[in-house]
Amino acid sequence: MELPFALLLFLVLIPLLSGLLLPLLAGNDPEKIKTFTLGITVINFFMSLLLLVGYDFSNSAEYGLVFNTEWFSSLGLTFSFGVDSISIWLILLTTFLMPIVILGSYSAVTERVREFYIWLLLLEAAMIGVFVSTNVIFFYICFEFTLIPMYFLIGIYGSSDRLKAARVFFLYTFTGSMLTFAGIIYMAWCNVAAGGMWDFSFAALSTAHQNMSDSQQLWVMLAMLAGFAVKVPIFPVHTWLPLAHTEAPTSGSVVLAGVLLKLGTYALIRIAIPMLPKAALAVAPMMGVAAIIGIVYAALICWRQKDIKKLVAYSSVSHLGFCVLGMFAINVQGLSGSVMYMINHGLSTGALFLLIGMVYERYHTREMAQLNGLAKVMPIWASFMVFFAMASVGLPGLNGFVGEFLTLLGSFNSILMGPVYAAIAGTGLIFGAIYILYMVGKVVWGPLKLPDGHDDHASGGAPGGHHVTDLNRREIAVLIPLAVACLWLGLYPNCMLKTLDAPSQAIVDRVGIEGHEQPIRPMLHHVQNTLQTHPAQLTVLDDTPSTDIATAQLPGVHQ
Amino acid sequence: MEIAKFIPWLPLLAAILSGICCMKRSLRDYASWIVLAAVAASFGLSLMAGSHITPESGAVTVHFFEWIHAGNFKADFSYYFDTLTIIMLYVVTGIGSLVVWYAGGYMAGDKGYARFFFAVGLFIFSMTSLVMGDNLLMLFLGWEGVGLCSYLLIGYYYEKPSAVAAGKKAFIVNRIGDLGFALGIFLTFKEFGSIQYAEIFSQTAHLNTESATTGMKIIPYLLMLGAFGKSAQIPLYVWLPDAMEGPTPVSALIHAATMVTAGVYMIARMMPVFLLSEHALTAVATVGATTALFAGLIALCQYDIKRVWAYSTVSQLGYMFLGVGVASSVGGVFHLFTHAFFKALLFLTAGSVMHAMTGQLDMRNMGGLRKKMPVTCWLMFIGCLALAGFPLTAGFFSKDLILGDAMAKGITDHNGWIQILAWSGIFTAFMTAYYTFRLWFRVFCGPEHYVMGDDHHGDDDHGHGDDHGHAHGSHDDHHHHAPHEMPFARMNLPLCFLAVGAIAGGFLCHHWMESMVNASSASTVNTAVEHVATAVEHATDHAGEVAVNAHADTGGEGHHASLFGMDVHKAVMIISIIAALAGIALAAYFHLLRRELADKAKQTYAGVCDLLENKFWIDELYDTAIVRPLKLMGDLFFVFDRLVINGIVALVGFIPRLLGITVRHSQTGVLQGYGLGMILGLACILLMVTWMLSSGF
Repeated sequence: MELPFALLLFLVLIPLLSGLLLPLLAGNDPEKIKTFTLGITVINFFMSLLLLVGYDFSNSAEYGLVFNTEWFSSLGLTFSFGVDSISIWLILLTTFLMPIVILGSYSAVTERVREFYIWLLLLEAAMIGVFVSTNVIFFYICFEFTLIPMYFLIGIYGSSDRLKAARVFFLYTFTGSMLTFAGIIYMAWCNVAAGGMWDFSFAALSTAHQNMSDSQQLWVMLAMLAGFAVKVPIFPVHTWLPLAHTEAPTSGSVVLAGVLLKLGTYALIRIAIPMLPKAALAVAPMMGVAAIIGIVYAALICWRQKDIKKLVAYSSVSHLGFCVLGMFAINVQGLSGSVMYMINHGLSTGALFLLIGMVYERYHTREMAQLNGLAKVMPIWASFMVFFAMASVGLPGLNGFVGEFLTLLGSFNSILMGPVYAAIAGTGLIFGAIYILYMVGKVVWGPLKLPDGHDDHASGGAPGGHHVTDLNRREIAVLIPLAVACLWLGLYPNCMLKTLDAPSQAIVDRVGIEGHEQPIRPMLHHVQNTLQTHPAQLTVLDDTPSTDIATAQLPGVHQ
Repeated sequence: MEIAKFIPWLPLLAAILSGICCMKRSLRDYASWIVLAAVAASFGLSLMAGSHITPESGAVTVHFFEWIHAGNFKADFSYYFDTLTIIMLYVVTGIGSLVVWYAGGYMAGDKGYARFFFAVGLFIFSMTSLVMGDNLLMLFLGWEGVGLCSYLLIGYYYEKPSAVAAGKKAFIVNRIGDLGFALGIFLTFKEFGSIQYAEIFSQTAHLNTESATTGMKIIPYLLMLGAFGKSAQIPLYVWLPDAMEGPTPVSALIHAATMVTAGVYMIARMMPVFLLSEHALTAVATVGATTALFAGLIALCQYDIKRVWAYSTVSQLGYMFLGVGVASSVGGVFHLFTHAFFKALLFLTAGSVMHAMTGQLDMRNMGGLRKKMPVTCWLMFIGCLALAGFPLTAGFFSKDLILGDAMAKGITDHNGWIQILAWSGIFTAFMTAYYTFRLWFRVFCGPEHYVMGDDHHGDDDHGHGDDHGHAHGSHDDHHHHAPHEMPFARMNLPLCFLAVGAIAGGFLCHHWMESMVNASSASTVNTAVEHVATAVEHATDHAGEVAVNAHADTGGEGHHASLFGMDVHKAVMIISIIAALAGIALAAYFHLLRRELADKAKQTYAGVCDLLENKFWIDELYDTAIVRPLKLMGDLFFVFDRLVINGIVALVGFIPRLLGITVRHSQTGVLQGYGLGMILGLACILLMVTWMLSSGF
């Protein structure tokens, strides 16, 4: 099937325009607004499904459906769109989660309804914009624009400490991104300095490293990481996440965990690693260490949480550690596993947030001390909870396992990391089980305990206080697609994995890791030395031909 | 043969249907029939597959669908049928059918009836996938899947905190082993470039201990960690005794007959890789024999009847590990096979006792039940004979095969350590006979007395009165008055089949087992490896002669070990018959004839008994040494995260605020805040660009 390239444009424009025009199109009636927004996001989902079905994956290392048009050509700015299999899956994740989020918020949002859905639609447009963009400026605009809807979603619709959470979320991620922006401009400038034109397309920037010295690459890499690592988040720049997650409304948490965090990992895999190959090799072991610390550290913190939502929020830090570990292994298993992990984490953690939101709507608390043994009063909810907990803990046969296994396998076999990395990261399997089962054991199992005012009517007592019931049809309809997706990707992940081989291999080839073990080590020492002693000396070192690094050329040439 | 690939999927389908039955009360009672039909159908399919797979036919791989392909890594849903698979399938689906049959009656009237059968169906799916998979990752899928089912079923009575805690413990302790397993899979992929059995074995066929790489020699150690977790061996055995919180049919099926033997299966399956390492098998044997002894000791002083069988299971699993550890896959797998029969029988009869006594499990509160429950009494007696290794019963053949092979290997290899292990196994056999009959005499013999359990709903009891919970008619009416026999067709009949297996499984299946196991990868590849060839040939030649009327063909073959001047298998057999009979006699003396002496002995050796009753305080030790430090670390990290890491961020964030104070008066609202942010940001960029330009990049 031949797909029109405008499909990508539509994917961005439909939510954007319907968001902006929502007051005109759907009036002020909350019911009408909800139905309209749901309809739009469902249409968008089916369009992206069309993308998946119709896309020709046979040449999936290249961008497809490419579309370029002039913007400010003198500044190298174009509107350029295109997708490869990595972005297609992430687009699909986004468009899949949005209707679920909207349907899941039907009863949670009762005030300022119109505004809420406008922000969600704009957020969807921005997120898809990130994934379809092949120009780094447009990419960056969308990347940053996601902050604004999210800021309002947290700040208006969040829980008690929402204003602080929104502010911290905004400033934290925004500050990091400014450095990233500087790094991007500097990369483009390196091309200009070498006699090229200002050009911010991915294609042009991916050759920029040829005009950069090692230390230049390294500095740009650090600038990129300043923004992207915060977004992911990687230890130790993760502290905004638990706060934002806990305070955000359910919809915000789902989108945050499901897609927004993936913007960081997507940016790493799309920009930082392939465009700065030598720097990527140099920082890979350190990123591996940071990822591993994040995995273990956050998992242990999870175990000591008393608030369910905070527990799941910290678990995201732990989970994203696997994702980062896999991608910096820089081999096919690691990279494919990492992309797979992005999708899986979005599904299972998103579902957990939805489930927690459903309980919160009923009992108005998330304290584990006050909610015990819900299996007795909400058996359907409990079944879903156990299901998604198992998906999150990486049970084979469900989706979480595939990504976890491949990222660990990748790090085990990576010449940049090795068995020790995989073994320590692998303890995350144990700690993951510990905290998830701790939570499930408290909230789902055990003797029933509910907050005051909620009677245990299911055990025969006379109904009194608030009448609490199990999930309704709408809520089940929200969870079923997620469960099916988890099961499908767990049993037949190959439908995704086989499309990821080619782009992963392309990244491995670009970074040029195969058979070039030598240049990595000295470079690593160089990085460590310079970081420890005098960062300012980097330029001096660089100009001195006597250092081994300055003479080291591209890996291929070096040998 | 193609149709055999549906063996796991039928129970899965049944599980899904049971899940649907959960939703409607009127459908609930169909769940057991659906699962029973599916498991029985899988058993039928297994028999059919078994008719295709003979020792001569070699292995058959049946591809189903692709699972995980990434680069050169490949793992599919495809199934590997060789003789070992067939044996395991018989055990899993055969014993599985009988237990599901029994459970249909046992669980009758329980609120979670359909939920129970959902988990059992899922378990059979996972367990059959485990034994049928053609690669290590499928084994891992089944491995974790059975872990989940075990978790769900141990915590079946979820309103009981101890059951929830036990389920959690089982899952987590297993995960510790699974980490080793997972690392073993990674290393296998690294060393062999594949995780498919056929591919691995084709490479190991050309390797021996000299030509194997260091990595290959490490693989067995990692894999065995997983096996120790799943099969409850030292140091990861602690979860199994607690797992008895689950309904008794679960203890029988999962925690005695099938799941816990997965570790033995794994080692038998990966035997060619284990043989590449000089000491890996010795380590397995050592852990096995030590666990057998250790758990046997604990079982001596337990009063909870299910816990006695639980520690006994740990101990018997230790035997199986000793078996595979001396490269006697036949012994290990044979014992797995017979143990499945008699231990399932013992657990289910214990369940009947418990059922009859409304949850009473303490053997001090029961006695002389022989008249009240005659069928159960004699069924358990048969199981006890087999467990004690009474001559001619199933347990006798398989246990002696292990001990004989171990002793023979120790002697032929001049390996004193293996001989010590074998002797320790013989001593364990004596203890086994003692604690087995201690329980039987205590429960069924002597003066009749019973204290009914007060635990009506929560414990291992059916919640009658709930709806139509009168599973066996009028019995429920005097539930609180006296123990009663179980209904025959619904509960005791399946036990009769198990009893037949526990008696006849040994001498009937002996030669079949030997030829089957030897034909599988577990043993055939051995011949390529020099240093175990003798042991294997020995096992092959002599396995048959352990039979009672063995006429040792010792003639011209020079590799026979001898012990006390006779063939080693014969000698070991005689010694262990003596040990078993002595154990039974001792139990009879202390617990049937002179019970007061047992109490006296207990007072005399109070310290020892205390130590054993408290299970050597291993749980407490783990709690203090591992769990608490980890919790403390979690707390510390949390504080660190909030104070230090967040503190640094707050400090950095305070700098712009300091700046902001000066311009505060011009900034009044939220939107202006953005403006400030953007201006500051742009200024930052400008500064950086100028700095970069000027610093001569």
